[in-house]
Amino acid sequence: MNLYLKLLSGSLRSRMQYKMNFLVSSLSYGLIMAVDFVLLAAILQRFDDVKGWNLYEVGLLYGISSVAITLYRVFGVEIHNFERYMVEGEFDSLLIRPVSPLSLLLTKNLDLSRIGGTAQGVIILVISIIGLSLESFDMLLLLLYLPVSIASGVVICFSLGLLTATLAFWTQRIKDFQTFTLYAPFNAANYPMNIYPGWLKIIFFTVIPVGFMNYTPILFLLNKGGNIWNLAWPPAVALVFLCLSLRFWQFGIRHYHSTGS
Amino acid sequence: MVYWILLQKSFMTNMQYKVAHLINNAASAIFGFVFIAIWAGVLQGKEQSSPYDVMDMTYYIAAAQCILWLSGFLTAGLNIQNGVRNGAISLELARPTNFFLYVTSQEAGRLVYNFFFRSIPIGLVFALTVGFYVPQHLSSYLFISISVLLAIIISVNLHYLVGISACWTTEVAWAHFVNFTLLAGLGGQMVPIDFLPAPLSTLTQYLPFAGAIYYPVMVFLEKASNDVIWFQLFWAIALTLLNLWITERARQKLEIQGG
Repeated sequence: MNLYLKLLSGSLRSRMQYKMNFLVSSLSYGLIMAVDFVLLAAILQRFDDVKGWNLYEVGLLYGISSVAITLYRVFGVEIHNFERYMVEGEFDSLLIRPVSPLSLLLTKNLDLSRIGGTAQGVIILVISIIGLSLESFDMLLLLLYLPVSIASGVVICFSLGLLTATLAFWTQRIKDFQTFTLYAPFNAANYPMNIYPGWLKIIFFTVIPVGFMNYTPILFLLNKGGNIWNLAWPPAVALVFLCLSLRFWQFGIRHYHSTGS
Repeated sequence: MVYWILLQKSFMTNMQYKVAHLINNAASAIFGFVFIAIWAGVLQGKEQSSPYDVMDMTYYIAAAQCILWLSGFLTAGLNIQNGVRNGAISLELARPTNFFLYVTSQEAGRLVYNFFFRSIPIGLVFALTVGFYVPQHLSSYLFISISVLLAIIISVNLHYLVGISACWTTEVAWAHFVNFTLLAGLGGQMVPIDFLPAPLSTLTQYLPFAGAIYYPVMVFLEKASNDVIWFQLFWAIALTLLNLWITERARQKLEIQGG
């Protein structure tokens, strides 16, 4: 842990050398997500709700999903861009170090520009919670549970990212897979799962389990269905998926053959 | 003709990654299904208060997902920034070829590839699942071709603008993000621009982003007057002239610094 913090602070310092660039990229990334939400707000202002979910309720789902994927993009930048290590043959240099390749990848770099997106997600969460005007008990429960939901989302996102990165051991390129395993599912998780056709719902609750991160607990927290067990699902699914992805990663490393270049 | 050869080479390069692109096509179709599901959810029981019904929006999203591969998902900065970073730009600008055509013809090759291996397969997926609009009038096909071509020219120019700005800023990642967001958001990728709140919906009609996605989709769906083509033509010419001028400025800047 000590080593992790040391490596992390080193990477943070190197990033802050370019303050202007950091500021502009954070702001632009935040703007991107803001435009995205303004569009959603424009639809829901006009048509009131999407299958029984109003703007603030969708905002909760949206905020959790945005914060989760952007936090993963901050901390998991090297996992996310892992194909570079395969294409340019840099992975060999990670294998000869005395620390595990995964720890090295997680500490090597931080993509702070994505923090703009995280901040924007948090702002949407705050606006949504205020707009919901819940009873004080429900509000307290929601506020207490949000960090669990977000943390589960980050872990699910990281696991999906790692599973996708592992594919690079065989396919070299993973950018095209990421649209399938990360971008499309997290975009879908911005909205309530009940709007999707059955086959899509099955995907989002099994192989790409983004539905558990926000939809399942929020359903219970906003008294829209389910029971107290809905709150146990996100961390449980996140943990199982994390274990699976770590095992797959180890399996991938064992089958890694250097290109020798 | 050197530009035609560049276009062909770029087409062939893209052919190398057919399998990866097929996977991406599936993801692109899923994005489409998600957007269609959102609209179906939103419009359910409220179709009388909307200018579009669920089927209209299904066709709209399906067509927009196809055109995105021609005028949305272009190479960030058309890769001009890489040349700026490694210094190759000085050589490229000094060549007797026109730099603007040199860069854009390579992107054109990629877009021709996208048409055959991205837009058409995605369109087929929608046709076999949720439905895909088939234009009814013969004359529409001519206007659709012109509108799509102009959409491509507008978008290539917007991406070129981002790329060439690297001559002054070196880093274009954020400019590309902003450009893409405006293109997708204000261009009507998910929300037709007439659905946007009042001042924004009027403003966006006059911005080039609508010319890249919204107008060609509406012409394809035979829902827009063919006059919108004039508006697209204006932006295509204006942006091309702007880029030719900026390229000249970039060349002068390089000469002053001695490369």
